[in-house]
Amino acid sequence: MIALARPLTIAAILMLLVACSSDERAPASDAEKWAMPGVYAVNYPLAYFAERIGADSVEVAFPAPADVDPAMWVPAVDTIAGYQGADLVLLNGAGYAAWVQRVTLSQSRLVDTSAEFAERLIPVENDLTHSHGPAGDHSHGGTAFTTWLDAGFAIEHASAVLNALSRLQPENATDYRDRFDGLEQQLLSLDQALKDIASRIGDQPLLFSHPVYQYLERRYALNGHSLHWEPGVMPDERQWRELSGILAKHAAAWMIWEGRPHPEARDRLESLGVRSVVFRPAGNRPETGDFMSVMHENLQALQQAFPTSP
Amino acid sequence: MRDVLYLAWRYLVYNRLKTVILVTSITLIIYLPVGLNVVVEQSGEHLTARAEATPLLVGAKGSPLELALNSLYFSLDFPELTDYSEVTAITDSELATAIPLYVRFRSRSQPIVGTSLDYFEFRDFEFASGRPMAVLGECVVGAVAAETLGVGIGDAVTSSPETVFNLAGVYPLRMKVAGVLAKTYTSDDEAIFVDVKTAWIIQGLGHGHQDLASPDAAASVLDRSDDNIVANAALVQYNEITADNADTFHFHGDLSGYPLTAVVAVPDDEKSGVILRGRYADEDANSQIVRPVTVIDELLDTILTIQQFIVAAVIIVGLATVATAALVFMLSLRLRRREIDTMLKIGGSRPRVASMLLAEVAIVIVLSAMLASVITLLTWRFGPGIIESFVLA
Amino acid sequence: MIDIQGLQFSYGESDFSLQVPELAVARGETVAIVGPSGSGKTTLLNLIAGNAIPRSGTVNTNGEEVSGLHDAARRSFRIANIGLVFQEFELLEYLNVLDNILLPYRINRALTLDSDVRGRAAALAEQVGIADKLQRYANHLSQGEKQRVAVVRALVVRPPLLLADEPTGNLDPVNKERVLDILLEYAENNNATLITVTHDHDILHRFQRVIDFKHYYA
Repeated sequence: MIALARPLTIAAILMLLVACSSDERAPASDAEKWAMPGVYAVNYPLAYFAERIGADSVEVAFPAPADVDPAMWVPAVDTIAGYQGADLVLLNGAGYAAWVQRVTLSQSRLVDTSAEFAERLIPVENDLTHSHGPAGDHSHGGTAFTTWLDAGFAIEHASAVLNALSRLQPENATDYRDRFDGLEQQLLSLDQALKDIASRIGDQPLLFSHPVYQYLERRYALNGHSLHWEPGVMPDERQWRELSGILAKHAAAWMIWEGRPHPEARDRLESLGVRSVVFRPAGNRPETGDFMSVMHENLQALQQAFPTSP
Repeated sequence: MRDVLYLAWRYLVYNRLKTVILVTSITLIIYLPVGLNVVVEQSGEHLTARAEATPLLVGAKGSPLELALNSLYFSLDFPELTDYSEVTAITDSELATAIPLYVRFRSRSQPIVGTSLDYFEFRDFEFASGRPMAVLGECVVGAVAAETLGVGIGDAVTSSPETVFNLAGVYPLRMKVAGVLAKTYTSDDEAIFVDVKTAWIIQGLGHGHQDLASPDAAASVLDRSDDNIVANAALVQYNEITADNADTFHFHGDLSGYPLTAVVAVPDDEKSGVILRGRYADEDANSQIVRPVTVIDELLDTILTIQQFIVAAVIIVGLATVATAALVFMLSLRLRRREIDTMLKIGGSRPRVASMLLAEVAIVIVLSAMLASVITLLTWRFGPGIIESFVLA
Repeated sequence: MIDIQGLQFSYGESDFSLQVPELAVARGETVAIVGPSGSGKTTLLNLIAGNAIPRSGTVNTNGEEVSGLHDAARRSFRIANIGLVFQEFELLEYLNVLDNILLPYRINRALTLDSDVRGRAAALAEQVGIADKLQRYANHLSQGEKQRVAVVRALVVRPPLLLADEPTGNLDPVNKERVLDILLEYAENNNATLITVTHDHDILHRFQRVIDFKHYYA
């Protein structure tokens, strides 16, 4: 009888083990939650617009270090994690922040703030194309991306931010609209002031230290030529020779810099009859002030360079 | 009773071959319809649960079943390809969240699912270790895939070529494991999740290579003019995205035309879902929208019909088996006439001798029932996974 | 022990007929029954054991008129009071030696298998020289060993009556004597009655009485 009981017992244990095997999932880990929706931006202007419109209702983050150009910045993995956890990620569009194409973000939370005017973006051709394989020539050039320097586009960026925030928090839509209206008024005033200066500039040739003023140039019909000179860096002789060649055909009296020029460069430019004026694109957060104060400083610099006729 | 069972048991043990054959036959007869029912029901529940958790699928016009199986269970066969513009269109409609899926490639036996982070939130994934992929070339591995491939955080998985001879096509991409998911008990456990752009890189639609303007690439230059450089096949293209070469990776053309196998559409609400479905109702459209629940229900109906046929066949075979077993028993009684007579002659009671003979039958039936129950339990526990792998292979 | 009066028996339609007007066997008596084949010797044993019912007459065994009992009662009586030994041993091939010995205790609830019985079985097995073979299957034994197992099976219930039908018919001379010794020793030591049907005239001298059956059949 023991021989009979043994296989029965084994069978019963087997059945019990299988029946009792757990399908329980591992316990959920606690996720960090912000007190209010988190909004990440890829550049300072967008962060500024979000701060102006969202005010205390959103947490705005723009984690690029102060000393880098956000357009070229590549965030570290833990910073990318911050973008991944955001409720909204404000993209500039126009190929700004190419790193966005090489990271993984929730598509549903991305807001391309230039989508509405994508067809009006300014293409930029690279100097060099290359081809390999059957696809033929292709270029690694793209689109000019300092779109906010066109005040009209800046308003459209801000409008996209407004719409995104309103969808995120419909209960605050009215407040957001009110704040946007205030911001829009300021941008319109800025736009008008720039138009006034542009009318005084007319079609006189200008130089730009870097090809970052395409939208400014187009909006305000400026006659500019871009170099590749770094603020704070003395250009080399090749660059001075290149400038001489350009001046022969484009006799500019002013160079617009994105940052303070190297004093020697400024002086040598002046010896060539070219004076310097700084117009900060404000792609990154300024050391002092904010986007609007930087734009007003830019405005003042231009007004000083191109004063009202006496 | 104990003595009766003992004598019956000893007989069965002595004639173990006959006993094993009988037990096996009866076990099969009991198990087949029951086990089949368990598998079908469980698989049905499993399939239905997965389908119910996926509101809508958008894909190219074609087989809805192929679309559903590839999108929900990452089957080997993939449907006609749609493209990323479908994601944009759904997103712009503001009716649903659009989640791209590109389920085409494998790393050995594990499917590589190109998608976005939205998929993780949609499926409510939790991480056993690590984090979501952050940059192209990283991947997140399902719990079972991690065990099968023997990988963990920091290890690499490599995509498998689509065909041996397509040297110019899909080539192996080495991907770093950034995270391992907790078990979900769904087909997600088998998958390797990558950003959809990484999947496009696997396909060769995006790539990274040496800077052709640099001296290092001189050997790869076929021709150089003022504004164009033509490279030859010696151009080094990277098969792993690292911090050093990540900047070289790029895509050509408009990403909206890049391929996907499906788009998961998660409507904001029921009304939005209805409106969205209405937009794809045009017969002439190149795309289709399916409700996975409907597709799987139809599949289960077909399976149920097949099951009914199988059960009917099994019942017929079962009756034949029972009849055969009864015949074997009666023949066995005839052969054991002398043994029975001996027991009766020395004073065995008729009821007890009869009970002993019946106990042999009863033990065989009970053993068969127990074995069938154990196999049914095992089927309940492991069956759906095995069936799924057969269906999806 | 045995008292037969006016016994008449026949098998169905056959011509065979057994008539025993009177036969008595005393308690403790050892009897050998001889006679030609077909004379009804085995039938007589069956009638004494209650395995067959006479057409008329009475068979009184150990004080019980077995011919008048119903089937279940006869069986219970038989298994508790009569040890049967057969020429062909009649062991169950799927039981080992011990289980064959203990078989009577498993096939009728008139007997209860307990530790005393097991002890007795082991002692008897020792006595007849098969103690080392208790776990072997019956068909792995020699002829002599098989018959000794069959004998122990008959003796384990401590029957007052032993009925042996050609118990030595299939044995070699050595085992023949050995089996006979066991049966006769048991009868002597337990004042049990032994009735043996045999064709072997060489063993007749060992019995107290020899009955020639040629007179009892027609």
